[in-house]
Amino acid sequence: MISLFDPVILMDILLIAISGTLICAAVHFIPVGGAPAAMAQATGIGTGTVELAAGSGLVGLITASYMYAKEPTITMGLVLAAGAMGSMIMLASTMLAGGLVYSFGVGVPFASAQVKRDPITGGRQDTYVSKGTQGQGIPTVCFVSGVIGAALGGIGGALIYYVLMGIYSPLITSSAAAVAGVFTMGVFYVNSVIPSYGVGGTIEGFHDPKFRRVLPKDVATSFVVSLICGLVAVLIAGGMV
Amino acid sequence: MSEVKEVPPNTLVLFGIIGGLIGIYLSPYFPTFGALGALCAVIWGAEAVRRVAKYGLGTGVPSIGQIALGMGIVAAMFGLSIVRDMTFAGPIVALATASVIGFIIGWFAQNVIKMKIPVMIRCMTEIAAAGSLVIIGFSAAVAGNFEFGNLIKMVFDNGVMLVVFWFGAMAILHPFNACLGPDEKQKRLLFLAGSTGSAMMAVIGIAAVMTLGRSGAVTLLLGIILWLIFYKKFWDEVYKDAAAVVGTGLIPKTEA
Amino acid sequence: MVLDLTMSMAILALMGALATIAGCLEDLESDVGSQSNPNSQVQLAPQMNFLHRIYNKAISGEPISNGLSAVVGGVVATVLLDAKFFPLAAIAIGAFIAAMIHGIFSTTAYAGRVASQTRFKQPLYMDIMRYTTPSIIAHNFIVCFCLVAIAYVQYVILGYPFTIPFLALIWGISVGAIGSSVGDVHYGAEREFQNREFGCGLNTSLSGRIVRKAESGLRNSIDNVWFCAKFGGPATGIGLGLTVFLSSWPTTIFGYTVRAIIAGLVIVAVMVVLNRLIELQAKNAYGPYKEDKNEKEAAA
Repeated sequence: MISLFDPVILMDILLIAISGTLICAAVHFIPVGGAPAAMAQATGIGTGTVELAAGSGLVGLITASYMYAKEPTITMGLVLAAGAMGSMIMLASTMLAGGLVYSFGVGVPFASAQVKRDPITGGRQDTYVSKGTQGQGIPTVCFVSGVIGAALGGIGGALIYYVLMGIYSPLITSSAAAVAGVFTMGVFYVNSVIPSYGVGGTIEGFHDPKFRRVLPKDVATSFVVSLICGLVAVLIAGGMV
Repeated sequence: MSEVKEVPPNTLVLFGIIGGLIGIYLSPYFPTFGALGALCAVIWGAEAVRRVAKYGLGTGVPSIGQIALGMGIVAAMFGLSIVRDMTFAGPIVALATASVIGFIIGWFAQNVIKMKIPVMIRCMTEIAAAGSLVIIGFSAAVAGNFEFGNLIKMVFDNGVMLVVFWFGAMAILHPFNACLGPDEKQKRLLFLAGSTGSAMMAVIGIAAVMTLGRSGAVTLLLGIILWLIFYKKFWDEVYKDAAAVVGTGLIPKTEA
Repeated sequence: MVLDLTMSMAILALMGALATIAGCLEDLESDVGSQSNPNSQVQLAPQMNFLHRIYNKAISGEPISNGLSAVVGGVVATVLLDAKFFPLAAIAIGAFIAAMIHGIFSTTAYAGRVASQTRFKQPLYMDIMRYTTPSIIAHNFIVCFCLVAIAYVQYVILGYPFTIPFLALIWGISVGAIGSSVGDVHYGAEREFQNREFGCGLNTSLSGRIVRKAESGLRNSIDNVWFCAKFGGPATGIGLGLTVFLSSWPTTIFGYTVRAIIAGLVIVAVMVVLNRLIELQAKNAYGPYKEDKNEKEAAA
């Protein structure tokens, strides 16, 4: 019988809320340009915020779940790190291959339209922005921001999975991975769509002025929604006997 | 040209909820009814997406489908498991939970994130509710009933829940996304929703053949027949609505 | 099953190869049907009075639609494996059914979108529908086959905790995200506006003015995929191949230890450096855009 006032259970709910918030924050770090970026009209990756964050986070979930399945006594830190690693590698490969296409296929130098100089390398950005566009490609600051975002998303997904496996394994040993995986996916998508509404489809990363503007309210919404999801996850365990 | 009368939203809400629930409650007797109930919910959900997306969602229609099914699956799992022995109340609790979660997210989207879409709260509630009915309906068609322990064994373990989740999301968001444009018509969208839902029913039927056997084959056949009917009706509407449907041809001269 | 290092590396190499093929074909499939982001230009063109003969396939985004194909393929393959089919046959039949479903979605998307553009007088060309849809189905079949095969290898041979449909779904979402980020740029920024000067982003004033007249005759999607197969497709293949290979490589070599995590972080750091090198190479080769160079000289 799951008691809601057991400190371990309350901690689990809080961890789920935190992981949902991490996923939400991750979406703000990943440089997404939306449809314009696919036409080299905006800086960032040319796809949707939801899908890229969810995609990289789910790859992180695969690596984290594999590590957890092979070494059940493993520390939480290692599982989270595995999730972050898988997610970061996926996003880094994507951005690298994208960079190849921008630089050799389309023939544009990378430039951000939001800052005059790249905060990390110091290179000029505004003279390299092509006429009539909002920047193009993936400059170094966007790449690093994306990697950080992927790490946060991977950690978030792995954390939910770890917590849920801890709650469900004693009850439904063989099916715990399946149920935990599906629930993680549901929470992932809810927490990726909320910030995408706040961001409005495009964001360049942590150096973008939009970042400071929208992050607080998106994170607040996400925390509340994930708290509810955490509560629901624990109550579902109550129904598994 | 006279205005074609559109089916009012409340009719579709009733169609979705009542049809969905009847189908789900009949599924322990014959699982195919679960799929038929979910088909009603798909049509309802697709129309709800239409109403909210017509205002221009910014990040696009697909994310609405994703969030709907994300909420739907959380609510469905919660509703079906929390009732423990009173399995009869499961779907109703799931529907209520999904509506509440949808309402909360719609409220936040409207008032905290400031999306400024008048029908956001109502439509988000409807989409989440439709999502939960779609999941329970199709899962019942594969598992044979809607009891949570049974669902874990028959639907979660072999991975069929993923196709219910994903294909369900597509079934709700594809109709409006495929008909996006200034001359979008509700009748064409409803037929497309029926077509997509029936295609999903056929795939669920294939999965049900593995878990249930004969009733799975019935679901599969019924799905294919319904798909043929809805798909033909969709194409009739396309022929009526399109500017020109030609076998082949050059690009017509315009004022450009 | 327990595998020694050689066997594990062989399996990993096989997965990497399958992923590379899947990535390449996924991007080409989105080019032959014009899906996702560049399709916004194809959708916009009739509004600017540029009628066209391109297959306007608007099935949500690539991650979602490829996820759908992969998960349907995975479920059908699971059903057939449960019925004691030979694995290769099960995967192939599963991929076939998934590709047919994808084909159905494509036809409804093309027909639906064009039927909603009545006021711009965009015709619905049935010959485009007839000869492009089988091409779409064929591309999607190969993508599904490779993804379901990767999922099968991971579930049955390597012992991942998630089932074949779940793994196939995740790889489907990833291949769609990667194809949308990498290959679509080649299609959208390069091929769709090929009559513009090479080496600049798309000026906002050019939106909707896609190329509709080809080298000989009218441009259609088959022409587009021919072009994109030369660069966009393989680049996407590299993206997914690296992802699948490198995300499992550290744990295969170093086991489930901290060293594997550090190896992963080193790989990511190397990629950051590589990106910087590409960025420098492009900047030095092309230089800044003309009018700003004059501004710099005037300031000096």
